[in-house]
Amino acid sequence: MSSRELESYRPSQPAQLADVLERVLDKGIVIAGDIQINLLDIELLTVKIRLLIASADKAREMGIDWWQGDPFLHGRNGQGELEERLRRLEEKAGLPTTEEP
Amino acid sequence: MAALPLREEETGWYLYGVVASGADLPAAAGVDPREEVVALAEGPVAGVASRVSLSEFDEAALAERLADAEWLEQKIRAHEQVVEAALEGGAVMPCRFCTVYRDERELRRFLSERGDALADALARVEGLVELGVKAFAAPAPSSGEASRAESGRAYLEARRREQQERQELARSRGEIAAQLHERLLGFAEDSVVLALQSRDVSGREAEMVFNGAYLVADRGRFEDGLAAIARERDDVGLELTGPWPPYNFVPEELSRP
Repeated sequence: MSSRELESYRPSQPAQLADVLERVLDKGIVIAGDIQINLLDIELLTVKIRLLIASADKAREMGIDWWQGDPFLHGRNGQGELEERLRRLEEKAGLPTTEEP
Repeated sequence: MAALPLREEETGWYLYGVVASGADLPAAAGVDPREEVVALAEGPVAGVASRVSLSEFDEAALAERLADAEWLEQKIRAHEQVVEAALEGGAVMPCRFCTVYRDERELRRFLSERGDALADALARVEGLVELGVKAFAAPAPSSGEASRAESGRAYLEARRREQQERQELARSRGEIAAQLHERLLGFAEDSVVLALQSRDVSGREAEMVFNGAYLVADRGRFEDGLAAIARERDDVGLELTGPWPPYNFVPEELSRP
């Protein structure tokens, strides 16, 4: 991303998944007893969900399109680097590794 | 409460958040879209909740569900949308994801036992919104000088230079973050500094150098202030998110099990 693009603030709509996860998974009222999920590795979950969306056409069916125009997912830095990064993240997230196209 | 139809499946209640008793509750689809989201009033407060199947949301089932990224994203977005809808009707104290009660009695007991604390917390955020601000800086340039060095001495010198540059960069980013936060505090009632998101999480090329949440009464003034800072600083990109339900401003007594 060039420094020009970074110059001014921009409201992000719709909310980026990472911002939603940061709040919904980690913040808010926490109640003792009854059913409660364990504290999760939020970073890992976010990466997993990003990957799901990056790789699945299903996301479109789900009406989620925030990734469009995302330089990371569109591989503006070159396809090779993008694939390498995906592989690395998939390994980290314990997902099956992306096949060579 | 009206009698519920008999179900073969065991159900519980998913609690999204707490609002003032009698507050408007705009319609929104819950984590199970077939079930209506309702306000269960108990004294001064009401729980925003909907029925869920315990085979889907029980602890044992959840461990498996959480590994399913698709399921997780759908449910997390639904949770967020219900809380945001409640926010349109007035103040809301959001619950953390997957707060599930096995039965309505237990849910009502929580509301009645913590009613005063919940009502106080709601009063504190009445008329306020949470806004998120993140600052990004271009990634640190890597000269690669050391790897091209032709002698041991040149290599060591290049390494030392690179290390100094890194330290200088970290210091200047720390200053940017501190200055930004201090100025934004002037436009907010309260604030929380959040953990920085790695580039893998933020999905951006630029590196996050600041991440904060602000509880704001006058949104226009806050945004004008932020825009003024953005005009002054061409070395960072600023991103505004929200308005959010006040996840980061739930009092500590309610956000600890």
